[in-house]
Amino acid sequence: MPGAEKKEQILRGIPASPGIAIGVVHRMVYDEPNVLPRKLAPSEIPQELAQFDRAIEETRGAIERSRDRALDVAGVAVGKIFDAHLLILADEVFLDQVRGRITREQFDSEYIVFDSFAQMIEVIGRSQGEVFRERVADLRDVRTRLLRFLRGEGDIIPDHPTHQVILVAEDLSPTQALNLDRELVHGIATDIGGLTSHTAILARSMDIPTIVGIGDISSKAQDGDSIIINGNSGKVILHPTPQSMEEYEDKRERFRSFQRYLDDIKFQPAMTLDGREIRLWGNIELPREAESVLSHGGTGIGLFRSEFLFLTRETTPTEDEQFEVYDKAAEIMAPHPVVIRTFDLGGDKYHAGINIRDEKNPFLGYRAIRVSLSRRDLFKVQLRAILRASARGNVQVMFPFVSGFEELRESLAVLEEAKHELNQRKLAHDPKMKAGIMIEIPSAAIMADRLALECDFFSIGTNDLVQYTVATDRANEQVAAYYRSYNPGVLRLIEMTVKAGAKHNVDVAICGEMGGSPIAAPLLVGLGLEELSMTASMIPEIKKIIRSMTYDECKRIARKALKMDTSQEVQSYLRNELKTRFADLPIWFS
Amino acid sequence: MIQKEVTLLNRLGLHIRPAAQLTKIAAKYKADVYLLKDGMRVNGKSIMGVMMLAAARGSTLVLEAIGDDEEQLVEDLVKLFENKFYED
Repeated sequence: MPGAEKKEQILRGIPASPGIAIGVVHRMVYDEPNVLPRKLAPSEIPQELAQFDRAIEETRGAIERSRDRALDVAGVAVGKIFDAHLLILADEVFLDQVRGRITREQFDSEYIVFDSFAQMIEVIGRSQGEVFRERVADLRDVRTRLLRFLRGEGDIIPDHPTHQVILVAEDLSPTQALNLDRELVHGIATDIGGLTSHTAILARSMDIPTIVGIGDISSKAQDGDSIIINGNSGKVILHPTPQSMEEYEDKRERFRSFQRYLDDIKFQPAMTLDGREIRLWGNIELPREAESVLSHGGTGIGLFRSEFLFLTRETTPTEDEQFEVYDKAAEIMAPHPVVIRTFDLGGDKYHAGINIRDEKNPFLGYRAIRVSLSRRDLFKVQLRAILRASARGNVQVMFPFVSGFEELRESLAVLEEAKHELNQRKLAHDPKMKAGIMIEIPSAAIMADRLALECDFFSIGTNDLVQYTVATDRANEQVAAYYRSYNPGVLRLIEMTVKAGAKHNVDVAICGEMGGSPIAAPLLVGLGLEELSMTASMIPEIKKIIRSMTYDECKRIARKALKMDTSQEVQSYLRNELKTRFADLPIWFS
Repeated sequence: MIQKEVTLLNRLGLHIRPAAQLTKIAAKYKADVYLLKDGMRVNGKSIMGVMMLAAARGSTLVLEAIGDDEEQLVEDLVKLFENKFYED
């Protein structure tokens, strides 16, 4: 055994994609290319410049293809990384500098490109901030591509390992991460990166257990070393002892059998042991994510965030463009429902097409329905697109950030105008399309019993409801400790909303993060919610919990939680209740 | 020529996206603009240049603009810094 004489070492990083992997290390070392200058004759220079411009065009095309694939497999966040790569290639000042150097120094374009990027990489690599060091991967990625096209070698060919391995690297480039072969790569461990870095997002989308931000794993591990990765806890064991191997083989088996169990039940109904059925729906950002909701056993889309239509572009989306997007999601989900939330812009989501002034309190300011109601032009375009999609699929509309009747009635009036306009244009739509509101402002929760008379459903957005109830900006790290999801006041508001809905026969859903939390599931079911909407990947786990408990049991838990004084008490009570019943949930694997 | 000191308030610093926003605004003006920090002076119309400053949250930069519309240019950029690049 090659690693026999090496001592077991435990390292810790950020758990970025769940699961346990045991295997041998395969280091992905970045080979700094060695490009030597080649002197050009003055007569060769025009041709060299033309070649450079051609390579830029080809590289752009290749990056655009990667971006589209990234959008497909991992969504907007990773797509944006490749958009940033395109921005580098659109930097005319930089490109002119390169052209100038080719002309002046009379060296070949390959060398000048290599050298210009090298200077950037050196400066940024030396900088203190993690964010900047992560950008080195981007610069190298763009440079590698550009150099290949300059040499006429075509786009990057993925460098796959030849056997099953655990990849260890300082960081993966976005292109490497995009082209991982999950059959061969059983786990990933990197020195840098965070939960939202490209490696983490792509690894999660491919279900590869991954730990990032370990610090110095790439210098400690050698090819062929034994390694264990626990993507649930962030623990890395290098040169594990036989005892550790045994312990983790057992953990891996338990984790896998739990996953297999989830696979078995995921298309079963989410019904409690005593027969109460809960609808488990998915939250999505892109229409194609609807497929993932279906494959995880979801039976509807409880929250289709429509902002992405704005966020990846400079201009505002047209009615036809929007219709296509909504229609596609509805088509994938049919006959299941798709709830489209109208644009939630403002707050922390800014767009060039909407003039949002400097605000002292953006979360209390011009956002969501307030933007829509003051920009009727945009609002109506969106409502007409949603209405048109309702003619062909099970589509519903949901208004965010409603504080009371004023916004609800005004929104419904605009919706009626939109219907009228479609009638005039003789365009089909469902005149009875359901319209509901998000319950995320405390005043709306308190007034829920009245609001229920004038809308078709409620969906509780817990992230904002918590933020506004406990008056804590959730992005402000200084007061993060006050952002308590299980604040008893929040629980009472949820309970009030559910009761109001039940009284008036209005469906009540939860679409905030709490909806996909295993700890919260028994509480929410016990409070009387019949619909939970969450990230697709959480649906099977929540389903298991619901299928293993009785409604009575959940009601008991909810009653007890409602009598507690502090968020801390509620949280530890719920954790204990869950842990005694489900020892094999991924959250316990540390 | 005008100069104006600004402080970087957004959480992640002047990384690639903010750099892109900054250069996009700078490109709309005729005036030349430079960013000065720790003895470095980079072209404000180049993403690569701006990124090279590796300016983290809390760092102070000087904007320097030279040209006909230098005042509006600086005013526009200052607004971007004050609004934390609309990120946080």
